[in-house]
Order: sequence, then structure tokens, then C-alpha cells
Amino acid sequence: MLEEEQVAFFLASRLITRGNKGTILLTIMIIAMVFVNLIFLPSIIAGIVVLFNQQNIDYSYGNLVIEPREDELLITRVTELQQKINRIPGVVASTPRYSGAATIVYKGKSTTPLLVAINPDDEKQVLKIHTSIASGDYLNDGDTGQILIGTTLAGNKDQKVDRTPTLGGVEVGKTVEVTFRNGVTRQYRIKGIIASGQFSVDSSAFIPRKELESVLGTTDAANQILVKTGTTGTEDAMRITLMQYGVKERIWTWQDKSADFLKSIVGSFDIINVISTIVSLVIAVVVIFIVLFINTVYRRKQIGILQAIGIDRSIIIKSYIFQALFIFASGTLAGCALLFVLLQYLTASPLVFPGGPVAPVLEPVLLLRAIASLFIVSLIAGFLPSYLTTREDILSAIRG
Amino acid sequence: MIIGSNLAKVYGKGSVEVRALDGVDIRIRKGEFVGITGASGSGKSTLLHLLGLLDRPTTGSLVIDGVEVATLSERERTLFRLNRLGYVFQDYALVPELTAEENIYLPSKVRGMTAKECTRACRDILGLVGLRDRVSFLPGELSGGEQQRVAIARALINNPAIILADEPCANLDTRNSTIILDLIRKLNRELSQTVVMVSHEEWHRNYFDRVIVMQDGKIVPEGEIPGKP
Ligand SMILES: Nc1ncnc2c1ncn2[C@@H]1O[C@H](COP(=O)(O)OP(=O)(O)OP(=O)(O)O)[C@@H](O)[C@H]1O
Ligand SMILES: [Mg+2]
Repeated sequence: MLEEEQVAFFLASRLITRGNKGTILLTIMIIAMVFVNLIFLPSIIAGIVVLFNQQNIDYSYGNLVIEPREDELLITRVTELQQKINRIPGVVASTPRYSGAATIVYKGKSTTPLLVAINPDDEKQVLKIHTSIASGDYLNDGDTGQILIGTTLAGNKDQKVDRTPTLGGVEVGKTVEVTFRNGVTRQYRIKGIIASGQFSVDSSAFIPRKELESVLGTTDAANQILVKTGTTGTEDAMRITLMQYGVKERIWTWQDKSADFLKSIVGSFDIINVISTIVSLVIAVVVIFIVLFINTVYRRKQIGILQAIGIDRSIIIKSYIFQALFIFASGTLAGCALLFVLLQYLTASPLVFPGGPVAPVLEPVLLLRAIASLFIVSLIAGFLPSYLTTREDILSAIRG
Repeated sequence: MIIGSNLAKVYGKGSVEVRALDGVDIRIRKGEFVGITGASGSGKSTLLHLLGLLDRPTTGSLVIDGVEVATLSERERTLFRLNRLGYVFQDYALVPELTAEENIYLPSKVRGMTAKECTRACRDILGLVGLRDRVSFLPGELSGGEQQRVAIARALINNPAIILADEPCANLDTRNSTIILDLIRKLNRELSQTVVMVSHEEWHRNYFDRVIVMQDGKIVPEGEIPGKP
């Protein structure tokens, strides 16, 4: 049996080394391109998802989000709960928030964004909003009469540019009028403008919790506590740990919180991915098939002659499979090289998305999938034409 | 020994039926050098294809060296061609990507000869056909006569009992034709291989032990061959 493979290999190697180099090179290049195409877009999308996830952790949720108990509207005795949480092993820090809608008016322009009341110093331990101040300054715990607003909310002088209701390009130092939901109205000086790239942050406003409590008359209440844990990825376990330590409030992971959002973008990306993968594969199949088919049909006479002089069809088929596998292997290798160059380039000059640069994420599954699908395509493209040619009548093959 | 009885080959069907062979009885003894001649379209190639197991008769029986070949499976027929027959085509039919030597030893490699044995057998045969200095030439680098000699060498490598040649000299000039014919006769005489060769040329008759004349898919009986006493 092994002799058959030896002869097939011998034939294949001669047909490749002494055959038309241009055709082979072209086929190898096409496979390399398809390989890159199969991997590149999905890896960029994976990179975007990683970026979005990180954004959600860094700017909106931390690792865990604690919300009021079932049937309650607020978390009460926040300070006590926060201290308890901070003592739990694995917890790095936590920050309470009290958010609700409020109407903000500036120079006759009025909009009703989310107004988030925060402990500015605690926030620094959990989120990264303080690192994204585009102009002015971040809040301090003791600040009164000062407000932080997102850049989307601040808007532009030229309102045509804004896609959402804004304050028409309000700047640091200007005073806006805030009406709370209990009807109280106060003046606030804009202390800083945030540009985080995260829409939910950039379209909100922030004041210290003490400020809000003075308006609403509440004490030590919040509707969320964001928790930062030592490692990302262990949220589910940490959630259980928190419960074991007696946290009775509802606990969500950042994945739970961003599930809808992520599902929708990941869902859209998946569709793009699937379409792109199918298109690449179809192109690959068609091109590889055409090239190998033509190659085989071109050698139809030769295949007939080989059979006529007593060479079994299985040897002939195997030799064509070997040729296809050679092309597959070289194409995949060339594709890897191409991909490597591309990734190097993208590391040097990354694609910038709202929220930061995207690093392509090369998942092994993706690589394996691309290699496996090309392998199968090549195998079929090597097998089928030679199978069909050797099945037909020898004399008509020889006649060409 | 080749015994064909009532061999027929019919192409097409219905009204456009072509009886390329029409009830041929043929016996060729071991070691004979038989020539087949006849007008174009008389069925010479068709007969040789049947003898070479490249095609199956529509009806009739064909026994080669005691084996009824009509009933063999496709794989068995391939093996039979490999081990017992050597076929020489009019247009040489070499693999252009293989050197002279590689073309020749391919059939022996399939039989499981070691590389060393192959190379030795190959050099011997190339010596026999007078091409020892063309071992590593590609077919494209050889003349028509040289290519045909390589093709003959390839047909010989597995030491077949029977050599079948369909107008092997049709594309060659007289000088090269003579070389090929001399070579084939030498093989026939020295290795006592049975040779069946199709030829148009009148002067080739001198080489044959016996001539079979074909006409309209039938063999013309000995006594009725025109121009032969
Ligand atoms: N595949 C085929 N399909 C239909 N008819 C065929 C086929 N092959 C041969 N024939 C017919 O069979 C007859 C015999 O053909 P064959 O090739 O045996 O002739 P030949 O004696 O070898 O002629 P030539 O001297 O021209 O080579 C011809 O009439 C030819 O048209
Ligand atoms: Mg003919």
C-alpha cells in the first residue's frame, strides 16, 4: 500500500516542480489571500468586542453591579454596605451611585439626560472616567455647585452636527440650570467635560452624591454600587462570594448588564462575520476548484495514458490529492506570513475606534477553522476532478 | 498466445450504429511478430485497443495467455496491462514532466521495484534502445524518434509478454522508422516477445512474420489478400 503513496508522491512532486509554476504560484497566492480573509475580519471584530467589553467595565459597570433588593427602589445604609463589600477578599474597591433623570437648561436649550450622583474619590478606584476629562477638571468629594458633563451632552455650537438633544456647545466655566425630579432647580458651574468614547457616559451628567442628597433630602441612599474585583473573568465566582458574605442586594455581572447591548452588536458582527466567511469560502472553493479542475482536465490525456500503461487510478487520484495538499500547505503558510505582516502593521498603526485603538484578537479556534476549511476544500478539489477523469473511459481520455 | 473469437465492437446505437469490428477471429502465437494493415477506418486501432485491454469488446471472447480478459474487473485489467502488456502509442504519450528515465521506470515503480532496481533496469533498457546519454532529458528535449524509443523502453520495463504498437512510426521519417522497426524486431527475436503492430506502410511488411489485413471491421482471409502470392 505504501508503495502506491510513494509513486503518487513521486508523480505529484514532478508535476509540481516541472509543471506550470505560474499557475501553482497563483493558486498558492489565492489560498493565502482567502486564508487572511477568513481570519482578518473576525479577528478585528473580536478585537472590537474586547474593546467594548473593556469600555463597559472601565466606564459603566466595573466588574459587578449591586442593585436594590427585590421590591425595593433604593439601597439604604450604603456606607455600611460599601464597607462590608470592600472587606470581602477579591474586591478592590466599590463606588455607590444614585442616578435619575434631570432637566438641564443652558441658554434656552433644554435636555433631560441621566444625572448620576457619585462619590468622586470612590469612582476613581473603580472606573476610569477621571482619566477622560477633555477639558476642565474632575470632581472632588467636597465640591458644591459644580457639575461634570459628557461631551455628547455638551454638544457643539453648530447644532446641526449633534444627533441628540444637547446644550449647544456649553463650555467649562459656564453655568447651567438643573431641575431635579422633585421640582427643585439649582445653578451649577461646569467643572469639566468628559470624552470617554462611551456613549452612555458622554451623554450623562455627574454631580457629587452629597449635592444630590442636599436636594432630595435623602441620606446614605443609592440605586447602584459598582464593584471592582482583582481579576476580570471571575465575576460569576465573585458574585457568589459576595452572596456568601451576606450581601442580600441583587448582584449583576458586567456581562449581565451589557448583555443586551453586546448581544446586539455581537449579533450584528456575527452576521457580518458569517457573510464574510461564506463569501471567502465560496470564492476559495470556486477558485481552487477552477484552477485544480483546469489543471486536471488539461492533463486528461496524460491521466488516460497513465491508466493505459497500467497505473491504477487510485495512484493517480492520490497524486492529485498530494498536489492539492501541497498547494494548500504552501497557501496556508503564505497566508500566515501575510497575516503576520498585517498584524505587525496594525500593531504599529492601530485602527482607532470610539473608545480606543483596536488590537486584532487572533483566536486559535479561528485559525483552526480557517485551516480546516481550506484543508477540506483542497482535499475535495484534489480528489473530485481526478476521480471523475479516471472514471471515464481510457480511450476518450487519451483522445483528449 | 492470444485467442480472440468472434470479436465485435459496435459504436453508437440505432440508425447511426458503427460496426468498427464485426466478428473477428484472431490467433497470435507466442513470439510472433504480427503486422496489421488495412484501409483507414477498417478497425485496426479498435482491434489493438481490445488486445491492449484499453477497451472492452461489445461481444466475443478474448483469451490472453489463458486468461479470459473480458471478464476481468477494471482493477485487474489495469494490473494485467501493467504486468503483461506493453503499449506503444503513435504520438509517444510520454509524461512531459518526467525525464526519459523517470518515464521509463514509472511502471516498474508501481510494481514495487526499489529505486536502485528501477534505475538499473532503466539504464539497461535505455542502452538497449540506444539512449543511454539521454537519461535525464525531458521529452520536450528529445526528437520524435528518441521519444518513441523512450516510449518503447517504457513498454518494455516490466518485461511484458506482449508488445502492442499502433502505428509507432507514423510521425517519423524513414531513417527513424527503420531504427524503431529494427529495435522492435530485435526485441521480438532476442527477448521472444510477441509483437502486434499496426502499420500502413508497405515496406514494413518485410519485418513481420505474418500480416493480418483488415477491411470493414473484418479480417481478410489469407488467400484473398491482394498483392500476395
Ligand atoms: N469512439 C468511437 N465512436 C464512434 N465510432 C468510432 C469510435 N472509434 C472508432 N470509431 C469508428 O470505428 C471505425 C474503425 O476505427 P479505427 O480507429 O479502428 O480505424 P483504423 O483502422 O485504426 O483507421 P486509421 O488507419 O485511420 O487509424 C471507424 O469507422 C471509426 O469511425
Ligand atoms: Mg488507427
